[in-house]
Amino acid sequence: MRALGPFWIAILLLPPVLALTVLPPFGQRMVVLVGIYALMGLGYQLVFGQLGALNLAQGALFGVGAYAAALAAPALGWLALSVAIVAAAVPAAIAAGPILRLQSHYFALATLALASIVNLVAIHAEAVTGGANGVSGFASALPRGSVLLAIVWACLVMGVLAYSRLFGGRLGEEARLVREAPLVAATLGIDGGRWRVAAFIAGGSLAGLSGAFAAALNGVVSPDVTGFPVMVLCLTSVVVGGSRHPMGAVLGAVLAVCLPELLRDFQGAWLLVYAAATLAVVLWAPGGLAEGIDRLRGAPLPVRPEPAVPERLLPAAGPQRLVLADVAKRFGGVEALSDVSLAIERGEIVGLIGPNGSGKTTLLNVICGLDRADSGTIKLDTAHLERLPPHAIARHGLGRSFQSNMLPGDTRSAGLARAISTHAAFLLLDEPAAGATDREREQLASLLRRLRDAGRGVVIVDHDIDLLARVCDRLICLDRGKVIAVGRPADVRANPDVRASFLGLEEAVA
Amino acid sequence: MSMPVLEVGNLTVDAGEIVALLGGNGAGKTALLEAVLGIRPASGPVVLFGRDVSAMTVEQRVSLGVGYVPEGRRVFAGLTVRENLEVASLLPAVGRDRRIEEMLALFPMLGERPEARAWLLSGGQQQMLALARALMNRPRLLLMDEPTLGLAPLVVADLLRRLPRMAVDGTAIVLAEQRAGLALTVAGRGLVLRRGQIIRTGSAAELAADPGLADLMAGG
Amino acid sequence: MAYALVALGFVLALNAAGAVNFAHGDLVVLGGAVAVLAGQMTGLPAPLLLPLVALVLAVAGIIAARISILPLVSRPPEATFVATIALAAIVEQGLTFGLGAAPRTAPALAGSGSFEIAGFALGRQPMAIVAIGGVLVAAVWFLLERTQTGRRMRAVSADRYMARAVGIPVGRYIMLSLALAGALAGIAGLLLGHQFLVAPTQGAGHMLKAYIAVALGGWGSVPGALLGALGIGFFETFGSVWLGDAWASAALYAGVLVVLAFRPQGLFGEPVGRRA
Repeated sequence: MRALGPFWIAILLLPPVLALTVLPPFGQRMVVLVGIYALMGLGYQLVFGQLGALNLAQGALFGVGAYAAALAAPALGWLALSVAIVAAAVPAAIAAGPILRLQSHYFALATLALASIVNLVAIHAEAVTGGANGVSGFASALPRGSVLLAIVWACLVMGVLAYSRLFGGRLGEEARLVREAPLVAATLGIDGGRWRVAAFIAGGSLAGLSGAFAAALNGVVSPDVTGFPVMVLCLTSVVVGGSRHPMGAVLGAVLAVCLPELLRDFQGAWLLVYAAATLAVVLWAPGGLAEGIDRLRGAPLPVRPEPAVPERLLPAAGPQRLVLADVAKRFGGVEALSDVSLAIERGEIVGLIGPNGSGKTTLLNVICGLDRADSGTIKLDTAHLERLPPHAIARHGLGRSFQSNMLPGDTRSAGLARAISTHAAFLLLDEPAAGATDREREQLASLLRRLRDAGRGVVIVDHDIDLLARVCDRLICLDRGKVIAVGRPADVRANPDVRASFLGLEEAVA
Repeated sequence: MSMPVLEVGNLTVDAGEIVALLGGNGAGKTALLEAVLGIRPASGPVVLFGRDVSAMTVEQRVSLGVGYVPEGRRVFAGLTVRENLEVASLLPAVGRDRRIEEMLALFPMLGERPEARAWLLSGGQQQMLALARALMNRPRLLLMDEPTLGLAPLVVADLLRRLPRMAVDGTAIVLAEQRAGLALTVAGRGLVLRRGQIIRTGSAAELAADPGLADLMAGG
Repeated sequence: MAYALVALGFVLALNAAGAVNFAHGDLVVLGGAVAVLAGQMTGLPAPLLLPLVALVLAVAGIIAARISILPLVSRPPEATFVATIALAAIVEQGLTFGLGAAPRTAPALAGSGSFEIAGFALGRQPMAIVAIGGVLVAAVWFLLERTQTGRRMRAVSADRYMARAVGIPVGRYIMLSLALAGALAGIAGLLLGHQFLVAPTQGAGHMLKAYIAVALGGWGSVPGALLGALGIGFFETFGSVWLGDAWASAALYAGVLVVLAFRPQGLFGEPVGRRA
């Protein structure tokens, strides 16, 4: 993704310009409606598109905004718009904490339950909401006609431009990491939790605002605005338009407003067409309409910058020593790590070897916070890491790369490059040579030496003992969670315990 | 019978033979076993019991007489011991029950608690269950992937003692192991795999005596 | 009891296809609609319509999964969510189009009227629902626990790779589970269709209750889903006496939120996920 080109900006500005110059009042109304749906969809893109979380409460928050505006307008006038934003953002913020931790299927359920409660309240709390009759008689206190049109579209244009700028760069890449590889994101120091809460609240605020505009446009607010059909409309239009493209929500909204008019003779058929289109998009064109148009007009596809190892490795600031003392970790009845103690200095490359299941990857996970140690201490200089979440550990200067490519489309070295680019003082590398050609192994060896020269501390797990022996200052051999040998590579390789552990000889004796 | 049980690439296995497939992580051991079973496409033809089975489904190969003990055991966690055996059987009910009783007798640690859900079993019991499950249809070729991983030494010894007995009855066994020393105590022959290629073959005695074996194995 | 059938079908489809089917509630409505139409066209009594509805919906269950779940297995779960929501909307709109939005009455199973047992007036129709529901739940339980077919269905949902590796034709068993799920949904639709009528918009409500039942009972657990469904049924019946229908539902949803906030893995955990 990148900033919007002139083509899309022209399309974005076309509807309001047409509406203010040539369209009849009926057309103006449609344009306002497009703006309202697009604004709600834009908010939805933050949570659904960027974070990939199926939020089914966006329609309900839209309804909350509408009611809030309708109820507050007689007393507060235009200020009611901001009341609507707050009214939608507050429940979003309250719900965000507990809900966003849930796995996808529970998250969808929780948001659906939330939406159902809002809907029931709207219908049955007659004293406040007027029940099925709804609230009316407030419209004169809110912006109307072309003023409303101008405000709605001003908000939308600003929103779309801000969105495309924000997600065209670093933030977009961060969002992708949080969405597609949350573990990688955490080890790069990205706080996924805060990210999600922020997106959820911002998305809810936009829903509230668009709900308020809808109240202003219609002059009446009835329980229908909180109903599931609104949610389905929002979801389908964002999917059809393009769930991450800055123009996706706008295109989806245009279709959602125009289709019913085009198919007016077949009542209800438009929703059928729309739902079928959504299904088709999900199955065959996950990028949506906006990306399809980009492709058709031959716009250069958004090139994701391939993470690369920096040309010059600058000396990194931060801690000098990584020290583990008596670290233990059990999984069920199995002792994955027992009393592991070791210290690594800057400018040192330490190889971690051992047969399958000896605890190498577990050790890396425990150091970088993806697994919690049951006992023992892990320190960077004087800072204790045992209780910190992974992203906080990463910010203390500890980087990590993973065994396999965690992100679709990454090349083999991308994860490694990403970890190095954080300028972490210490790096934990899990099998960076797996599946590499001989030439790539040579490049890796020279990269490791450069890291040492730049004063980084490196812990590397790999099965290529020859490679490790050539570049490492020390080797540590693990067997069934215990350190059985530490020392210079040649000594460790010659160690009879180490050789026996690789061949599994000790078992035959037992 | 002189016909080999399995021919794939330059690997040939005869009836009653135990062949150790050695190599470190990522050497291609699992991939080779999966290709023989048909759960992963093979790069060349796979010949089982003299027939080219390349076009056959997994079900067909299993019914020809292939049993598989996967890495990590993978017993059906929510099913009981008995049910784990039942689902793997291709026989009608009567023969099935008789075979299950045989299996429960053969593996006393399973026979003690046939109605226990599999996820309640210890690692060793699960491994025996995985083996018993693979034996349900009296396979003529048994594929085992890292069966000793994460097991207590006593269980490993019990497991490995069983293999030669099965081989005596004519079952061919391909035993993929990282722990070469262990595997070579029961195997007649061994092959070392690296990056999907066989880089060394030899009799178990030859390989076990080779001082360079540890380096070959660790070489990934 | 009808909820139990809905939830049972939901969890079977969930286990077989590995994804939440948001269109499951609409399969229930579709079952009701098929019952209405078939009743009108053939004039058959409801007990004879049952197998017909079950058959049609079994096919529908397979088709639904073929369209919106199975092609998306390798994509993130949100893709199937959206696809099945879209499918639900298609079914709902299709029904509105074909039947009209007005609620219809499905044929009664046992006539109207009521009889008295120990001083309680019991409607014939509710009793018939309970009886048929009970028989079907027992039959499904027997199938899953006591037959080779059922055991293999469970093995397939527990570990698809391993099921294939022991020689089970996995695809066939997935289709069977989906067909069973559809058939149960259809029967539930017929059972509910007399008392609560059949209207295209009911699908979301059915789906939500099944979803809640499965989430509370333990994701993927069949007995858990049944318990969850019965719990919801009791809660609604007694809650509505105190609070009225609407507030009882609101309390139910609020309860779900509270449970999920404090026990993010559902009330009874996830036994299926426990793979040693």
